[in-house]
Amino acid sequence: MTRSYVPWLLLLLALVLAAIYLFPLYWMYVTSLKTGSEIFANPPSFWPAEPNLEIYPSTWARRTMGTFLWNSVVIASGVTAFTVILGTGCAYVLARYRSVWIDIGLFAILMLQVLPASVMITPLFVGFNQVGLLNSPRFAVVLAAAAKSMPFFVVLVRATFMSVPRELEEAALVDGNSRVGAFFSIVLPLARNGILVCAILTFMSSFGEYIYSKSIIQDTALQPASVGLSGFLGPNSTDWNSIMAYSAIYVTPILAVFVLLQRRIVSGLTSRALK
Amino acid sequence: MKLRTLGLMAGIALSAMGMAVPTMAQTVIKVWSIDGANSPGIGDTLSAEFNEQNTDIQIEYRILPFDDIVNEALRAFATGNAPDIVSLDNPDFALFSSRGAFLDITDRVAASEIIKTENYFEGPLNSVMWDGKLYGVPKYTDTIGLFYNKDLFEKAGIAEPPKTWAELVDTAAKLTDPSTNTYGITFSARAGEEGTFQFLPWIQMAGGSYENVNVPGAVEALEYWKAMVDSKSASQDVLSLGQWDSTGTFNSGNAAMAVSGPWELDRMSEDAKFDWGVALLPTQTEGGPRSSALGGFNYGIFANSKNPDDAFKVLEFFISQDERLFPDFSSLPARNDIALPETGVALKDAALKVFQEQLQYAQPRGPHPEWQKISKAIYDAMQATLTGQMSAKDALDQAQATIQGIVG
Amino acid sequence: MSRIFNSMRDGKGFDLILVGAAMVFLLALAGLPLVYNVVMSFQQVDMFTLGSLVRPFAGFANYVAVVQQPEFWLVTKNTLIFVFASMAGQFIIGFALALFFAQNFPGASTIRGLFLVSWVMPGLVVGGIWSFILAGDYGVLNAILKGLGLTQATIFWKSDPNFSLWAVVIANIWLGLAFNMLLLSVGLAAIPRDLYEAAELDGANAFQRFWTITLPMMRSTIGAVLSLGLIGTLQQFDLFPALTEGGPANTSNVAGYWAWQMSFQLYDFAKGATISVMMFVLVLFASVVYVRSTRHEVRG
Repeated sequence: MTRSYVPWLLLLLALVLAAIYLFPLYWMYVTSLKTGSEIFANPPSFWPAEPNLEIYPSTWARRTMGTFLWNSVVIASGVTAFTVILGTGCAYVLARYRSVWIDIGLFAILMLQVLPASVMITPLFVGFNQVGLLNSPRFAVVLAAAAKSMPFFVVLVRATFMSVPRELEEAALVDGNSRVGAFFSIVLPLARNGILVCAILTFMSSFGEYIYSKSIIQDTALQPASVGLSGFLGPNSTDWNSIMAYSAIYVTPILAVFVLLQRRIVSGLTSRALK
Repeated sequence: MKLRTLGLMAGIALSAMGMAVPTMAQTVIKVWSIDGANSPGIGDTLSAEFNEQNTDIQIEYRILPFDDIVNEALRAFATGNAPDIVSLDNPDFALFSSRGAFLDITDRVAASEIIKTENYFEGPLNSVMWDGKLYGVPKYTDTIGLFYNKDLFEKAGIAEPPKTWAELVDTAAKLTDPSTNTYGITFSARAGEEGTFQFLPWIQMAGGSYENVNVPGAVEALEYWKAMVDSKSASQDVLSLGQWDSTGTFNSGNAAMAVSGPWELDRMSEDAKFDWGVALLPTQTEGGPRSSALGGFNYGIFANSKNPDDAFKVLEFFISQDERLFPDFSSLPARNDIALPETGVALKDAALKVFQEQLQYAQPRGPHPEWQKISKAIYDAMQATLTGQMSAKDALDQAQATIQGIVG
Repeated sequence: MSRIFNSMRDGKGFDLILVGAAMVFLLALAGLPLVYNVVMSFQQVDMFTLGSLVRPFAGFANYVAVVQQPEFWLVTKNTLIFVFASMAGQFIIGFALALFFAQNFPGASTIRGLFLVSWVMPGLVVGGIWSFILAGDYGVLNAILKGLGLTQATIFWKSDPNFSLWAVVIANIWLGLAFNMLLLSVGLAAIPRDLYEAAELDGANAFQRFWTITLPMMRSTIGAVLSLGLIGTLQQFDLFPALTEGGPANTSNVAGYWAWQMSFQLYDFAKGATISVMMFVLVLFASVVYVRSTRHEVRG
């Protein structure tokens, strides 16, 4: 009625906030289009003097980005598969009971994350070397990175399982289902949305995996895009506009997928209480 | 139908024959370097050429980022996965050679037709020696000098680039013009090897060395640096800018002088829209002792290489191409028997002559197996002073105490 | 035999398999490296003995040496400031945004989705972008601040010891915002609407409703966000080399980056391991907070 303008004001505010938040992204695109020395100009220009779109195809070709991005997809898919398969069951059990053992389990999952990846890599490298995993380096990276993304996944998916009404599972058990049957036919379908969304988030964050890949994968043809990007960063030859062009090519497809999927992601996570 | 089958069989037979050829005793030599990330570099180009010319030996080449190559090599060596040949920044070399991780190639070089120690400059050669033995070969070399913007000098009525430290500070102050966002000078005082690389020459000009950093002249030099940052003749961002980014502000006209090296020449020739030149680093007093930093990379063969003979052949091939270092890759050979051809770009050729003179005064960092710790003591002192946390004297005294503990 | 099989299909055994598989995996890929580092922190480590665990015993010598480093207390202080400020910033802004986007207005969920962008950005790329934004002379943040008349002087975000740590904090808040907002939005959505309606009928104002309904109902979510946030912040690495390298003069150095510097720049692997083991204490704290917070969970 009288306050019908309020939602529009909120929309306006939301747009302003989004503009501020997305500014770094804008700056990435603008910087990629500037010439080498315009980047260092003071005061900075908000729009490139001579936008050089040529930088995109040339960076793509020169850096063999097709191969790099494909490897990123392979690694991120592997990490997601491992995390989902191992993490879902774990999260389910941790949500189902309430005991000291469950507390210890949750505690352990978090504590095992104490070390930053940069410190974990030496022992992992030594270990992978002993069991011969260095010969299948992408698989080794998948294992290492899945262990890193597991706690996040377990904590989130556990919360999803918490919201599945316990009575439904118990009813299924009373009806003569086994635990395995009840898990696969009742609990999993109900938690499907949350799991799917967490899987997507895991995929997106492992798309940028860097520290493990850089040490474990020696063959350039198998390295992901993050390692390809770091190849630019030398002491005497930091080619910033190519770096930004590379970054833009690197993140734009995943941003596009993300923007397309985001409504489902957010609602997949937030609407579960409403079902 | 029959014809197709026949053709197919012929095809299989042909490809089987084709496959039979390279299976004859082929050895693979692994080479690691930082070359080839941005544009074709020495390591990647020469490896590809070698692979075309040879069938019995093939190079497997891997690019690594500058910041990672040493610890990747360490980890690989410790676990038995080391490459055959690695190329390292010269101060990192002693970490490996002092521990026998590199192959002693003294005798092989003595017998070699291609690699001759007498052809090398003293500084680069010292960086591959340990205990009187030769553990590697210099790949290329570089150093730093003073770039200056001749247009801005003319505008300020300054005829010549500064010759002494005091003149440098004065000149920088005169050239500074906040209204056009121009600083008098830019350099790199970063918290890393680049910071040490730029400051150590000043310690050496004052009669000090990496083992003896708190000589009075070094304190004076650091005070001059601080004066330039404090008076805003130099941007405070010299504390976090690397050399490449620092020189970028010179190219865009936002700094009138820059301390940097010959690796800048190609970009500067293209980007700088003004007349520029290079001068030798200013000395403490007029005509005083000169010094500069010695940059550049070395090749080493790992001691646990399974095919040291073939690895040495690859090394000889790399060195045999040294004449092309400058024309093809804009790198300076570390040798006194190779004349650099004119490039035809006047500014670049003039600059090159200065760098070649400056190179005669270049002194290596180390060699010392714990160079990185010594270097950290030096750049920590520099940063503590420039940020005003300690006086130049106290900071260098503290660095000296740390270094004393390392060199004994 | 069939009892075991039955239990796997229909009893405790089923639970044990599900948890066990994940636990074995984590113990092998996260537990063993942890042990390796703890062992290494009590040994004299030579860079060429990285491949074996048998090395001379050093007792607490590494710990003493780390504490005696001149920068030890500075790094400790920085670590606490970095963790606290990053988390406070991420959490408060994230919570505010989550509450804001929980309002009903056109485009709310679409625009909220845009705020998840920093989730998909690799740290390496984020570091590079912020390095340009925060540069002193040619940085765009200074240009904006000057344009708005908020400051006259050039602020050297990355080089001024008073700001360097905050430069990394700002970039880190941006990076972690998506994560915080997402989880908190999920928590908000899980609160039954009728609770608010009942409170409104009772005459509670917005602040009271937030204090008596929102916060208590979200206790478990907040616990998860804060503990995962702490772990993420302590492990933040990519931003440091891109922005300040811990400088100037260690004023922006934190434990995680320091441990890396010790191991991979100075090749002092024992000290690097020692610092990382010391960080254990902080994560221990985070885990306790999280596990305690789960006590308040309500099973749906």
